[in-house]
Amino acid sequence: MLVIENCRLSWPDFEADYSLSVRSGALCAVVGPSGGGKTTLLHMIAGFEHPQSGRLSFDGRDLLPLAPAKRPIAIVFQDHNLFPHLTAAENVALGLRPSLRLSAEERALVSETLEAVGLEGFDQRKPGEMSGGQRQRVALARALVSGRPLILLDEPFSSLDSNLRRSMIRLVDELRRKRHVTIVMSIHTPEDVADLADQMVFVANGRVAASGPPAEVLERGLAEDMAGLLPGT
Amino acid sequence: MRLSLPHPGSLVALAILALVTGGFIALATIDGGSPALLSIGPYLTRVLAFSVIQASLSTLLSVGLGIALALALARRRFPGRDAVLAALSTTMVIPTIVAVFAVLAVYGRSGWLAGALQFLGVSGDLTIFGYPGILIAHVFLNAPYVARITLDGLSLVPAEQWRLATALGFTPGQIFRHLDWPVLRTELPGIAGLVFLLCFKSFAVVLALGGGPARATLEVAIYEALKIDLDFGRAAWLALIQLVICLSLTGLLNWIVTRPPAAHTTRSHVERPDAAIGRLKVLDWLILAAGALFLVPLAFSVLSGVTHLLDVVDADLLQAAATSLAISTAAAILACLMALALGSAARRQRLVERTPRLAALYDFLPNTLLAIPPFALTAGLFLLIRHIVDPAAAGLILLPLINSLAAVPFVYRAIAPKLMTAEERYGRVAASLGMTGLSKLTIMDWPLLKRPLASGFALAMALSFGDFGIIALFGGPELRTLPYLLYERLGAYRLEEAASIGLLIVLAAFVLAHLSGRLSHAGD
Repeated sequence: MLVIENCRLSWPDFEADYSLSVRSGALCAVVGPSGGGKTTLLHMIAGFEHPQSGRLSFDGRDLLPLAPAKRPIAIVFQDHNLFPHLTAAENVALGLRPSLRLSAEERALVSETLEAVGLEGFDQRKPGEMSGGQRQRVALARALVSGRPLILLDEPFSSLDSNLRRSMIRLVDELRRKRHVTIVMSIHTPEDVADLADQMVFVANGRVAASGPPAEVLERGLAEDMAGLLPGT
Repeated sequence: MRLSLPHPGSLVALAILALVTGGFIALATIDGGSPALLSIGPYLTRVLAFSVIQASLSTLLSVGLGIALALALARRRFPGRDAVLAALSTTMVIPTIVAVFAVLAVYGRSGWLAGALQFLGVSGDLTIFGYPGILIAHVFLNAPYVARITLDGLSLVPAEQWRLATALGFTPGQIFRHLDWPVLRTELPGIAGLVFLLCFKSFAVVLALGGGPARATLEVAIYEALKIDLDFGRAAWLALIQLVICLSLTGLLNWIVTRPPAAHTTRSHVERPDAAIGRLKVLDWLILAAGALFLVPLAFSVLSGVTHLLDVVDADLLQAAATSLAISTAAAILACLMALALGSAARRQRLVERTPRLAALYDFLPNTLLAIPPFALTAGLFLLIRHIVDPAAAGLILLPLINSLAAVPFVYRAIAPKLMTAEERYGRVAASLGMTGLSKLTIMDWPLLKRPLASGFALAMALSFGDFGIIALFGGPELRTLPYLLYERLGAYRLEEAASIGLLIVLAAFVLAHLSGRLSHAGD
């Protein structure tokens, strides 16, 4: 289980204080207005932001003393996930070995993971030769191949059209179930994950304003901020 | 049938081509026939070999030091770092004649280094003339520029990729391989090519520090042919050879420079994961210390001029300053008008007429101006106008004209993208309202154009103000600019006065360059 207890962060123009728990193996969707602190929450879990106080643990292991590379976490950003001079297979292989010196088994694992995200035969393509959706699949494959049990997705599909976005979210959910990983995903469109997520977290003004089953969180409305996120409003 | 007037850009392009062609023909035919290339064969080989060797060595040293400084600065944060970066940015406008003074003041026979060695009881003759002086001056002029451009390139690496490198636990070697090297590989050919071109064409540095006619670049050889030997035919041939080489290099640079667009990242500054590695800290501080040890004394030698600043104010200085100001203002106005006309012609061809190839020609023309040897062009134009203009007045006409042609590429680079943006945003509205000519320029273009144009104007003025090129041909008691006055004082070994004059030139160039930088970033 991912447990965040009163993790406080402050800047001259922004303050955040997070408390949250996510069950292992769950798909947790983080929603909320832009600038509300969704990315900061994910970056704190990943180790890019350091809380001044509080506790952060995953499956009983204290994460705060650990450097980002030592945490049991893989992350996918909205953009710039791939190194443009490397092929898709090499970009995925970075998740296994940053030196890119792979054994035959590891190379097979890379191909297998690319296949799992629907990119069979794309091994030698460079990011410039792939579409936005394909590039995000490569990034997802790298997160999966690392074998880390917690995957953070920071608005990974925002730049994709709605059909592609939904199919990508279904793919994430499918892979999560097959591989028993925990997913925490920030997203701008709650309706895309409402029927798949186990948990929805509403973040605004640097705080978790609501957390629970998606239907419950969506039903509670949470005034104008939440209403602004819903379709047709 | 209604005849339409040609676009001002076409007229400017034709005028430039006519000036260049006319100048070269006048130069090549002044002796009444074609000059014998074979007769200058061995001399030409020597000049070419020297030009290429000194330019290659200068490029190697400038790029090596520049990249090392850029990587060290990218990894380190320290108080005063912003001031260091600002100083690196402005070295581009350090007039070459001031760099010559700095090298002599620090490394010359009676310079600081010789003084320090004498104090320590170390005897020996320090010879700065020849390769040592030329290389030191070129590295002083170019390494900071290389460092700044490389640092800008490194800052384009998206923040997300730094976070990935952190999350994936990259070692310093892997960071270099996956993050730094792809940037360097993209930037290096363009930077090295530009430094090579500048050093290949070097004039003031080689003239003053070369140590004699045995060491001449093509530019110096053209100057000597015109001013000392009065051999116009040889000058024409040398100019033509320089033109071909520089045009080829410019074309090659245009082809290889493919800078990626600035990346949009979530946070502007992310700590590099390799900044915390102990051995890199030591290496970076060693590099920064070495860079400072080399660059700071040279910079301070110019600043030392402040002690005698008031002593050098005399009628000569005031007259030279006024001449420099007048020439640089005229050159900047001319450069802005030419760049504006060429830029709007390129825009018209690209977006209205839909003839991208013609537009590319307009884009290429300003860059070709960098390749034209200014002495040969000046001499050719002088030959053309000598019967209708008093020789003393010829300098006053040709100096702003040639300086403006040299500044057009920089002004063009500042304004051409904004002209395109204005057309893309408002072109259809302007067309539907029937806006053309001056009304289109003032209503549609001006709001977007005023800052880059002012920035280009200031930069053109800075470049012209510190120029020591054509004035070497026309300069004398009748016509002096500040750089020429500095050259005279250096020749007379009046180093304290030279320091003060150099400081004045540098201050004016820095103020203008700073203004240019501020204007170009304002409103971003």
